Amino acid sequence: MNIKELTKGIFKENPVFVIVLGLCPVLGVSSQVSNAIGMSAGVLFVLLFSNIIISALRNFIPDSIHIPAYIVVIASLVTITEMLMHAFAPAVYAALGVYLPLIVVNCIILGRAEAFASKNTVIDSALDAIGMSIGFALSLTLIALIREVLGAGTITLFPMGSFNGVIEVPWLVDNPFRVMTLAPGALLLMGFLKAFFDWNTMRKAG
Amino acid sequence: MKKNMKYALILLSICAISAAALAYTNSITAPVIEVQEEENRLAALKAVSAGLEIGTQEDISGHKTVTFVIDLTEGGQVGGYILGLKGAGYGGEMTLVASYKPNGEILRVQLLTHSETPGLGKKAENEGYMTKYEGSGSATAVPTNKTMLSTSDASAVSGSTVTFAAIGKALEEGSHYVQALGGK
Repeated sequence: MNIKELTKGIFKENPVFVIVLGLCPVLGVSSQVSNAIGMSAGVLFVLLFSNIIISALRNFIPDSIHIPAYIVVIASLVTITEMLMHAFAPAVYAALGVYLPLIVVNCIILGRAEAFASKNTVIDSALDAIGMSIGFALSLTLIALIREVLGAGTITLFPMGSFNGVIEVPWLVDNPFRVMTLAPGALLLMGFLKAFFDWNTMRKAG
Repeated sequence: MKKNMKYALILLSICAISAAALAYTNSITAPVIEVQEEENRLAALKAVSAGLEIGTQEDISGHKTVTFVIDLTEGGQVGGYILGLKGAGYGGEMTLVASYKPNGEILRVQLLTHSETPGLGKKAENEGYMTKYEGSGSATAVPTNKTMLSTSDASAVSGSTVTFAAIGKALEEGSHYVQALGGK
């Protein structure tokens, strides 16, 4: 067991800002914080189980059919996630829409299966999945937080008891920068954050 | 040949196990989803019924906006109708339920599903948004454009021009549909 497999996904090999994987859902569902959290939970579930299953089957699946085999495993896990979310978290299910089934083709999942789980032990693969999912969740939530606060002046979480789930940011709620909730805002912000991560990596490398 | 058979068997076994796992999950989630959808539907119908008695649902096929119609009765007399409507918003299809008086006047409107943008079209979820349409459809035209509203009402829906027009158009179609029913 190597604890570095867990921590590398958070900053050093962050899937969104460093490896630049899975940008489609990052840009698509990051207009609201609650959607980002829901999507992150979906990716964590699928990535953890796909890495574990693929790593456990790595000596059983021959090289020449590994892609179709991985896709079947990943697609089944995504469908299970979809059914569970539909039944037990219907609001998140409705908000994620088409992006939930699209986890099947999310490059992070297949990328980690191919680059890591097919060559490493079950425990290391599980750690890699957790680390990558945390990295993905942090990146996605950060983008969603900035976009929603600037673009709508709100922070949408989940309703609990008397709390309706929406925190309003004074001033911004009446004067939002609307471009931030639209696609160009997502791309602009992604560019700035990527530049920051690149600068940070270069600075550390000296 | 032997190698191909082996590969096929491996893929078949992976598929079979996956199918079994999916079937098991479905057997757990399907009843929960069914109950939930029925509850949502009933809650939405109750919210737009305006205190009238809700009749049975009749599905409409072939109409581009109206998906179902339900009679609302008051003391055995038809007091109005609930229509299931669909419209094309900025983010794709939206579904709503609305109740009408027999003369086509809009009583209540509720948005069911949509994929509008937060900060813009998603405003349609806000309390008070749908009241801009209520009371129109008979004596006054259904607002299908922000310019048809008073200045204060228009500013409440600003930023959601496409959504506002889409809901307005669906409701207007619904109003015509109800007028054509003629209180039958």
